[in-house]
Amino acid sequence: MDVRDASALILLAGGTAALLLSALALLVLPGPYQRLHALAPATVLGVPLVCLALAVDAGPGRAAVKLLVVAALVAVSGPVVTIAIGRTVHEERAAATDRAASTGQEPPA
Amino acid sequence: MNAWLLAACGLLTAGMPPCVWRACRGAPDQRLTGIALGGTVATAVFLLTARGLDRTSYVDLALVLAVLSPTGTLVFCRCLAGGARQPRRTGAERAPGR
Repeated sequence: MDVRDASALILLAGGTAALLLSALALLVLPGPYQRLHALAPATVLGVPLVCLALAVDAGPGRAAVKLLVVAALVAVSGPVVTIAIGRTVHEERAAATDRAASTGQEPPA
Repeated sequence: MNAWLLAACGLLTAGMPPCVWRACRGAPDQRLTGIALGGTVATAVFLLTARGLDRTSYVDLALVLAVLSPTGTLVFCRCLAGGARQPRRTGAERAPGR
């Protein structure tokens, strides 16, 4: 095993660990806003590290460029999706609170 | 079996079930996080499987999924927000004490 294989293996282990950490956080974190934090390690660290490992393994060339494009796409779209989901959750809660206020019920926790 | 396939199997068995679990329970808007993370884990599994089975041309699947997965989640967000966004309420119209 030469240096390139070893570094690819280390990057792969790091990326897979970040993805599994995100999945665990998705299960453990209690509320919808806290669960949004589970997306960040996966999109900004997990998939880019996996792509980097594959690019190191593939060596310089067109295949590595395609892998890095996938990494960039996932890293950029992650925060965008997180913001959109946060806004949707907020608006749904505001609408539920308004509905509860108009009907005199207890607003959701 | 090589390290790439081992990582893909690990992600499928330990990474995907929590996403499916969150995507199947709770209010509709709270399922979106499970869908988003499921798309990200699936992208990683596609990448690792393509390399593990020595079919590097299948990286295109991960590339397409990396584009469509967030787009689909954004469409869900838009649908859940009721299509047309309500006009932004100014401070005066907000309920007092909020």
